Amino acid sequence: MSAYFAFAKSAVMTQLAYRNEVWANMFGKVVQVFARVAIWLAIYTGATSIEGITLQQMITYALLGGIVTGAIRYETIISMIGRALQTGDVAVWLLKPVSFPLYIIVSELGRAAYRLVVLVIPTVAVVALVYGMLPPASIFHGVMFLAYLALAYAIIALISTLFGLVSFWLLTSFSLEWLMQALLNLLSGQFIPFWFFPKTFGDIAAHLPFAWIVYYPAAVWLGRMDVAGTLIYFGIGCGWALLMAFGVAWLWRSASTRVIVQGG
Amino acid sequence: MLRHLRLIPILLQMNLRAQMEYRGAFLIDRLAMIIAYASAFAVIWLLVARFDTLAGWNWGELALLYSFHTLAYAVGASFSFTQMRDLEEHVRLGTFDAMLTRPMSPWVYLVFARYNIGYISHISLALALMTWALLTIPIDWSIGWVAYFLASLLSAALVTASLMTMLGATALAWTRSNHLYSLYFGFWELSRYPLNLYPTIIQGILLTIVPLGFMAAVPVAVLVGKPVPLLGDIAPIAALLAGPALASLAVLFWRFATSRYQGAGG
Repeated sequence: MSAYFAFAKSAVMTQLAYRNEVWANMFGKVVQVFARVAIWLAIYTGATSIEGITLQQMITYALLGGIVTGAIRYETIISMIGRALQTGDVAVWLLKPVSFPLYIIVSELGRAAYRLVVLVIPTVAVVALVYGMLPPASIFHGVMFLAYLALAYAIIALISTLFGLVSFWLLTSFSLEWLMQALLNLLSGQFIPFWFFPKTFGDIAAHLPFAWIVYYPAAVWLGRMDVAGTLIYFGIGCGWALLMAFGVAWLWRSASTRVIVQGG
Repeated sequence: MLRHLRLIPILLQMNLRAQMEYRGAFLIDRLAMIIAYASAFAVIWLLVARFDTLAGWNWGELALLYSFHTLAYAVGASFSFTQMRDLEEHVRLGTFDAMLTRPMSPWVYLVFARYNIGYISHISLALALMTWALLTIPIDWSIGWVAYFLASLLSAALVTASLMTMLGATALAWTRSNHLYSLYFGFWELSRYPLNLYPTIIQGILLTIVPLGFMAAVPVAVLVGKPVPLLGDIAPIAALLAGPALASLAVLFWRFATSRYQGAGG
């Protein structure tokens, strides 16, 4: 276990070496969040509430929407796996007494923790100062938001790893990064919450694992779900996470029996 | 100059063969990019399906905006993005020195030997969507309109290629450039939407310091007859001049950066 902690820590230290990039990244992020809020301001022109959602709630949703996807980079997880496959490094990992998928996950979570603190939270704070942001609906919802947030990081890391491992069969990880982006665009709720989706599409999306990455944490914060619903959907999310963890373990086992390292 | 023109087709052919080496992976990658771009567009569609218009733009007009943006970006980026993004690595590893010793312009070599045919996915998606949009929106077809459409598209592609080239060239002078791309793509996402969606300060930035407004929002507003914030009546001519003006600036900046180039040290 301490080995994995060390991996995560070393990932944070590497990030600290590139502080200039943080400023460029942060400025880019602030602009992006401003733009998303601007879209909602334009849509709400003349209306105080749409489908029972006030403008202030929608702005809060847009701000919370970037907390997970702004910190963790699914593309890094997928491309790290792809690169290890391409360079043959994966063979070296098979010799080490640590699990390769778990190493990929914890090092990205380390970087995500760093970005959350220095990039995402300040960005949200800056935009919140301009447009305002609602507090959690209640103490219960606030606490559950944190639990959902942890689950969201676990789910996005696991899905990305699943996608990355598929490159053992496709032999290209580039396409998997783009497919993952497409699924996140549509099914995580990161641009549009499901309550504005056409009903059937929204209902389907709300039960796929991507929903736990953006939609549920924000919906819980806003108190859109009652106590029972919050707990039940947390359970379903944990079920998805467990299923995907098994998926990763299984894919990794069958992938490692397929590895043929050329040359030597 | 003439020698360069003769070399370009040879470089392109060489590069095409290299990229076609893994045909299966190439095709899967193209398909994935089409799906990803289509999904970003589907998000806009979902918004309009629910709220009818976005900042006064209807579905057909937004489709034209998005396809114009994707097409101009793809054409411009095929001559610049991957080449310029990799320039930082060429500087770090010293492989840029090898380009300087070739008997041809390092820019011509870099751009054409690594011309990115992968953008065929953006181009096919954009053309399909654009055809649909042009048939949907009521347009006063005339030779002047078509000429303006093509000229502003070319100008928009030049805007993309010039900005990418300038970002990449900073690596020659200061050895690092890649963080600038994350900044670029932050604004790039904004430039897919109408300008009047944003507060004045962001509109101002998109028309001056980071002139990505000229990639689509300004020319398409002119084409569909919508007012352009801040620019007003000079918008039509500004959209045409933005590309050539930025390209001239990029040439000067590339020359300046190459003259400052000293290697990454070590």
